[in-house]
Amino acid sequence: MSLKDLTAQASAAQGYSYAYLDLFAKRELRRRILKAIAIPGCQIPYASRELPIARGWGTGGLQVTLSLVGPESVVKVIDQGADDSVNAANLRRFIARMSGAETTTDTLKATIIQSRHRIPEERLKEGQALVLQVPDPEPLRSVEANMAKAREMHADTDYGQMWLTLYEQLVRYKQYIQGASYPVMVHKRYVMSPSPIPRWDNPALHQAQHLTLLSAGREKRLYAVPPYTNVYPLEFSDVPFEVEDQTGRVCVRTGAQNKFMNELPQADGSSLFELSDTGYADKLVAHDPPGATYYDDQGNFYHDGYLKRQP
Amino acid sequence: MYIATKGGEAAIQQAESLYHQLKGQVTLETVRHIEATMPYLLDRVMGEASLYAPELAALAIAQTGGDLYEAVLLLRAFRSTQPRIAYAQPVTPESMVTVRRISAAFKDIPGGQVLGPTLDYSHRILRLDILDNRQAPAEEEPAELPETPAEAVYPLLADWQRENGLLEPLPAANPVEPADIPDVTRDPIMMPAPRAHRLQALARADTGGVLALGYSSMRGYGLIHPTVNELRLAHAEVMVEHPVTGVPFSAGRVRVSQAEVVSKDASGFKIGFAATLGWNEMKLIAASMLDLEMNSENSHPALSEDFVLYHTEPVESSGFCIHFKLPHYVTFASSMDAVRRVQALYRGAKATATEAEEELSS
Repeated sequence: MSLKDLTAQASAAQGYSYAYLDLFAKRELRRRILKAIAIPGCQIPYASRELPIARGWGTGGLQVTLSLVGPESVVKVIDQGADDSVNAANLRRFIARMSGAETTTDTLKATIIQSRHRIPEERLKEGQALVLQVPDPEPLRSVEANMAKAREMHADTDYGQMWLTLYEQLVRYKQYIQGASYPVMVHKRYVMSPSPIPRWDNPALHQAQHLTLLSAGREKRLYAVPPYTNVYPLEFSDVPFEVEDQTGRVCVRTGAQNKFMNELPQADGSSLFELSDTGYADKLVAHDPPGATYYDDQGNFYHDGYLKRQP
Repeated sequence: MYIATKGGEAAIQQAESLYHQLKGQVTLETVRHIEATMPYLLDRVMGEASLYAPELAALAIAQTGGDLYEAVLLLRAFRSTQPRIAYAQPVTPESMVTVRRISAAFKDIPGGQVLGPTLDYSHRILRLDILDNRQAPAEEEPAELPETPAEAVYPLLADWQRENGLLEPLPAANPVEPADIPDVTRDPIMMPAPRAHRLQALARADTGGVLALGYSSMRGYGLIHPTVNELRLAHAEVMVEHPVTGVPFSAGRVRVSQAEVVSKDASGFKIGFAATLGWNEMKLIAASMLDLEMNSENSHPALSEDFVLYHTEPVESSGFCIHFKLPHYVTFASSMDAVRRVQALYRGAKATATEAEEELSS
């Protein structure tokens, strides 16, 4: 790769640095990313430049992607599991325009996957980076709104209020009632928000082969789960964490079962279901054999015994 | 349809075209017209964008059809790509050309009250005659020129108050490298914020947001009862050192404004301060009151530094607000799963209770 090749890649976006961010911004981001990888689950503050995309629309993930992307990268962008959601399409268009990187909808071909609210069903591998967009990086926000105080609580591993919240849920409802963003303990040290992924996707972070980078542009914090790191949901030993129940749901497009489904309300009061992961669904439709998935067709998670209660 | 299979990108472009249809073509003439006729709008946008560039601000306003949050975002996104090539020298009261300077604390002050440009004492009556094509609109009368020009430089009222022991003396100014000044556009804000971050954040805060929080302090949720000590509108030269000769020169002239409020506490008077690029009087009065409020102990949670600085950031607050339009059906599905589990449990409990009742009655 010569400098000429590199600058030619950026010619579509004349007047801007390669991949939009200037070198100072990229250097800062890369340093913060390295620090985040070195301290799994710890929120690292960063400057967070304004981008030509509205704040709160994936600018945190976008800054991380732009600081990682190169001309040889293959980028996949999804929103709610879908490659063709308008915001995912918009971000993908921007990344490709500013970096010249190739784009794909195939999870296995991508080197960088930027996602909002989902982890693909197919297992990610070593060498892949998953960039999750984060609206609220602070898992303690519901018990402590003040960011400076929450930071002290992390420093002190002061997570008693989080356990109390779960206990209160059990007392009132006999179960955990947290929906998405279910808090996790990373590497026995930091309580972390996995971003608003469904509980279904939480286990995919545990002992993963891939690197996960989570970035909140508006809140100016990024954090990471390096490959092969322990990630456990907060759960009492006698009341196991449970993922969303997909039992009996059959994808109308593919006939698939035991994957995370979108529920489609019907006029007659019933519901149909379709796979949330469109890249995976496309492979099934095209009879293109998909890669190994986190959950098999019977709903068993690939790390035996990780989920104490199988979906 | 929300998601069109493979149609996402075409849909985006069509939607954008529809949006622009309402405002028509943007021409160089429109931009020039906005720049020439709407200085106060430009000042608001340039202040919130923290980018003094009237031409670009006019372009941003024209391009967004007057959606101010979008205009500020355009300027901020442009600003974040610009390198920092120099640091200007600090603007001092002696170096500014002051055109308006008033104090509510005294009837008269050293240097005098200078009313300058303001609508404060005008009758807010719509000029309907302008809409009436049948007669030539009455000219707005130009201001009369005085026989002797007004002073350009005025002393600070606070200096007189310091001399008289009403305000604490200023701490000795330590020389500081400009590059060492914390910069809110280059560092994340950590609480408690350095003073530089606080004043920068207030300077580029959302006008409406600062007003709402400032007003809540004024109206009764605050601890302080301030007086406008001094309010200034001025022109300032942006003095930078020539990169080769080292000689300071003016890179341009900008409109600036600053406000200072004072409030008494047990030990004397305390001062609150805010300044912006552009003339933004109302924002500054509210912001300087918030500055003072944030210094007071046990202020209302909604007037604490953490609360004020995070929630008056225009690009972040508006961006997050509109992001709720994005699909959230994964998180919603996850919530439905939790709700259905609880409902199933209660239905089960209800059924058991009904059975028990039936058993008793039988």
